[in-house]
Amino acid sequence: MAVMNDLRTIKNAAWLGWEMEANWADPFLFATYSIVKPISATLILVFMYMIVTGGNTDNAYFSYMYVGSALYMYIAEVLFGVTWIIHDDREHYMSLKQVYIAPIKFYAYILGRSAIKIAITTAGVIITLAFGVLALGVDISLWDVDWLLLLGSTALGMSCICVLGLALGGITFLTARHSIGINEGVAGVFYVMSGIIFPITALPTWAQSISKILPVTYWMDSMRRALMPDAMAELGSVAGVDVTGLSGISDLYIMVYLAISTAVFFALSMAVFKYADGVARRKGKIDWTSTY
Amino acid sequence: MTDGWVIKNLRAIKGRAYPRVIGAIREPSWVFFEVVLPLFTVAAFAYVYQFMDAREELIGYVVLGGAMTAFWLNVLWSMAAQFYWEKETGNLQLYMIAPTSRMSILAGMALGGMLSTTVNAASTLVIGAFIFNIAFDVVDPLMLIAIFLATMVALYGMGMMFASLYMLFGREAHHLSNLLTDPVYLASGFYFPVKFLGAAVAAGASVIPITLGLDALRQLFFTAGAEDAFLSLEAELALLVGLCALFMVLAHYSLRYMEYLGKATGRLTLRWQ
Amino acid sequence: MDQEPAVRTEALTRVFEPKKKKEGSTVRALESVDLRIEQGELFGILGPNGAGKTTLLKILSTLLLPTSGKAYVAGLDVETQFNAVRQRINMVSGGEISGYGLLTVKENLWMFSQFYGIKSKVALQRIDDMLGEFGLLDKKDAKVRTLSTGQRQKMNVIRGFVTDPDIIFLDEPTLGLDVNASRVIRTYILDWLKDHPKKTVVLTTHYMAEADELCDRIAIIDNGRILACDSPERLKKMVRMNTTLSMDVTRLKDTAVFKTFPGVESFTFTEDGEKGLTKLRFVMRDESGVSDIVSAVLGQGSRIESLQKTEPTLEDVFIKMVGKGLE
Repeated sequence: MAVMNDLRTIKNAAWLGWEMEANWADPFLFATYSIVKPISATLILVFMYMIVTGGNTDNAYFSYMYVGSALYMYIAEVLFGVTWIIHDDREHYMSLKQVYIAPIKFYAYILGRSAIKIAITTAGVIITLAFGVLALGVDISLWDVDWLLLLGSTALGMSCICVLGLALGGITFLTARHSIGINEGVAGVFYVMSGIIFPITALPTWAQSISKILPVTYWMDSMRRALMPDAMAELGSVAGVDVTGLSGISDLYIMVYLAISTAVFFALSMAVFKYADGVARRKGKIDWTSTY
Repeated sequence: MTDGWVIKNLRAIKGRAYPRVIGAIREPSWVFFEVVLPLFTVAAFAYVYQFMDAREELIGYVVLGGAMTAFWLNVLWSMAAQFYWEKETGNLQLYMIAPTSRMSILAGMALGGMLSTTVNAASTLVIGAFIFNIAFDVVDPLMLIAIFLATMVALYGMGMMFASLYMLFGREAHHLSNLLTDPVYLASGFYFPVKFLGAAVAAGASVIPITLGLDALRQLFFTAGAEDAFLSLEAELALLVGLCALFMVLAHYSLRYMEYLGKATGRLTLRWQ
Repeated sequence: MDQEPAVRTEALTRVFEPKKKKEGSTVRALESVDLRIEQGELFGILGPNGAGKTTLLKILSTLLLPTSGKAYVAGLDVETQFNAVRQRINMVSGGEISGYGLLTVKENLWMFSQFYGIKSKVALQRIDDMLGEFGLLDKKDAKVRTLSTGQRQKMNVIRGFVTDPDIIFLDEPTLGLDVNASRVIRTYILDWLKDHPKKTVVLTTHYMAEADELCDRIAIIDNGRILACDSPERLKKMVRMNTTLSMDVTRLKDTAVFKTFPGVESFTFTEDGEKGLTKLRFVMRDESGVSDIVSAVLGQGSRIESLQKTEPTLEDVFIKMVGKGLE
């Protein structure tokens, strides 16, 4: 019975998210978020690459960079999106208090709303990747994709990002003015430290140590291994050097590292959210609006 | 004796700039975010160039472009889109019934926001240069000042024109600002010389003043900038001055027209459309 | 020579078209409104929600264009001479959240005064004086976001008056305020007009008592049309020619029956659950129908606790004009 109630909450929250944000019938919004924005962001890197290499895209690093940039949308959009659900409900729609006092599980509500964010972002990622494969020769072949690895990696990585978004949403209870800044900061740390558009070996040694405790580092690597195994194998040993810094770890262990780091981040994020939620209730900040 | 139109409008500029300046002083926690956040993109792009063994100037261009994003974001979010937020809180209608030029109110927003924007741009430039060991080689400081000022006036004039559009928008204002962020970073060559996009694209993107401004600044900050230039410095300065005049006139008329349209359709004061 | 009225409208009409057809139908917010408000008047516009009050004020304060007809403020056309109109007016709305929360009360008021080009020294002196009159002097340096609803609305009202407008538009200025805050605002409005007899206040409200207490003249508006426009006394006289009857009776089974009684112009009732009484109020063309009403009450097995002939109120006028009460 309780499970049925949670499923109903997820379904209704997803419907609400769809109505509010994923109006795909609006060509302007679809073009903005799923085509123009992601492709422009990725094309900046493409031009940077071409200026240096003279236009040769038949290179494993080009695919590495392109795929990382496309997948980063999950971090930028979903992480921000989950936090924004809480911030927007509280500050702009002023409906968070109604969600709180309703006899539903808050986590189920957030999960339902997040599902729509993930769906929109997935459309953008697929379009960007398809553009890369068809127009720029990015090295992805549907026949070579390791679907099992892709599925496992996506599930773990996405749960990590969603719960991190939830934790940052909790922090907006306490410091709404900086909610966007904190979110961009966390996403920025991943962008630089997690081997998104360049291998972590380009970083100073101390920074590489930080990279290796971040789940996103393993998530990105495992996603690339699943999507473009040939290019990743090529980067594993360029003139005897491990370019990615993770090539020595097998697929299984990459997934184990991803699972462990995700579990730690999951626990930490839940603790942060529960703490922030408790403080917000104590100080009466759940239905606060700080924009004025 | 009553004060003249200019004095009254200067007071309006001062009045609207005040909340931004005092807000920045009163709640200084923004400094952390303005300093740290732009460095992530700059660092990531600089590492990409470093990883590919690119020539040093390209990394310098990334730092310079990263610094200039502050002004573009300020125009998009804190000036143009600000009219939408002002409508939401009920301030817009009070600005509209005030006997002052809308351009004065927008100029007040721009000047007031200049403190945080300048901290953002300057810190990105200085810290970026320090981390990635960039050597700036300024050969013509007067030209540098002229180009920078012309870029700013033209850019904020363009922002005023955008503000007139945003005046009528509801939540789509947020989407429009999002739409204009990454594509402009690409087309204006924030992180690489714009001439590599081809003459036609570079010429089209030059409608956005920051395209020419950045191209000129690259020439003024780096010796190799001249080789990567789209146009000569003199031509860029002349075009920027032209854009200043163009956008100021366009902003004036578009603000008047959009206000008229808002009054005719009743969208000037509606909230939550 | 005739003095130029503060406000004049001629066949003023405003129609709102839906953005898309499926989003609703055309709304005729104002329908051929003719008004003349003289300088020095405190003019009230009384009507239920959606009657067109705010639309009228938006047009007069240059925020909205008429669909047809004309509106003049201080003799100036609001459509073509809006810049000149703006130098003479200001506007305050109820429940306003204007300004910036991180500024202090004084800073917020000063900021808005600057949009009117007032010298800082003059503005700050006026702000101090007015904060004193509104009992807000101790909140001068408090951040706006820390103010209570009543304090914030007092600040909004000061914002409107601090620019010394010739004509001020007040849109439900006491909406949602407690008795004390409302009283302070009403008293200030009356004192301001006493001190500045050439200035004009145009006030919309749906509080009958407020309109009755403050206004020199009142226009009753419903569905975009002006139904009556006169002083509160003369409006009440329109009803006084009728008989107004109040009756407290023990619980009635059927109240609808009284609406159809011959001679009844209007009829309202409220239930007093605590005392178990039904309070009936009739406006009647003459007294001949009273005995029928009494018989009907007794016929339902109810007992009459009190019965009195009363003076008509503005509410009676409103009910007669609009056909329903405000609540």
